[in-house]
Amino acid sequence: MENLPLTEPVLLILLSLAGQPRHGYSILKDVERMSDGRVLLSTGTLYGALRRLLDDDWIERFEEEESSRGRQAYRLTPHGRRNLQLEVDRMKHLTRLAGLRVAARER
Amino acid sequence: MLTAYQHLLRLYPKTYRKQFGDEMFAVFEDVRSELNHKGALARIAFFIREIAGLINGALREHLRTVFGVHQGLSIPTRRFTVRNEFRFPKSTAVLMMIILAGIVLALEKARVIQASYSDGNPVVPMEASHLTFFPTLALLLVIFYAAGVAGWAILFALRRSGVHRLADISGEPK
Repeated sequence: MENLPLTEPVLLILLSLAGQPRHGYSILKDVERMSDGRVLLSTGTLYGALRRLLDDDWIERFEEEESSRGRQAYRLTPHGRRNLQLEVDRMKHLTRLAGLRVAARER
Repeated sequence: MLTAYQHLLRLYPKTYRKQFGDEMFAVFEDVRSELNHKGALARIAFFIREIAGLINGALREHLRTVFGVHQGLSIPTRRFTVRNEFRFPKSTAVLMMIILAGIVLALEKARVIQASYSDGNPVVPMEASHLTFFPTLALLLVIFYAAGVAGWAILFALRRSGVHRLADISGEPK
């Protein structure tokens, strides 16, 4: 997969959208929550990443029925969900490998 | 604040602004109003982050639209991007400039004090010294910066040419 490994902000944005569709502000706050306040996205960074994800067809925009001020919501596409799963699998493998190697060194 | 943000949004290409401008502004407004009851430090950090994010984002979008540079989603692992040792040492350059500015300022002050207390020389007012001080300082900063960039470019070119590997070549094959 050409686009893996993902940058941390992109990964967190995708994880934020994995559970439910969200609009920009909600993604921003969720990313902050997930990273315990370590990753604070600016609007420039957030929408730069959203634009790239839209271009690569990982996410899509849609109008929320009860949205205020015509806010756009974003959700994962099947393609995006599949790629996110691949990235999670890759990270799982890496974590397992790292655990084994570190444990072997400590013995 | 909101006006400044709107002005900065104009740095983005028109098509991007049309697509995301209103949304970005709405999100900025939401976060800003949330910070109203927080400390000044948090607000300052937020504004710095926003300004840096906007400038960086606008630059990337222009590069993408003008030159077709597509910034992907992944962590860059190309050869050039992982060569940390060849990054221009910006922090060192800034530090050097600050030290240089301090030295020039101290010398200039010393010159003025000397002129003021010298019996043979007329008293030189501080304002007159400032007239020469700032252009001199600016010129020196430019010269030092240009020298730094030129030096870095030469080193980079030499490294790219692989000349440093010549030292590793021994006379006899292993």
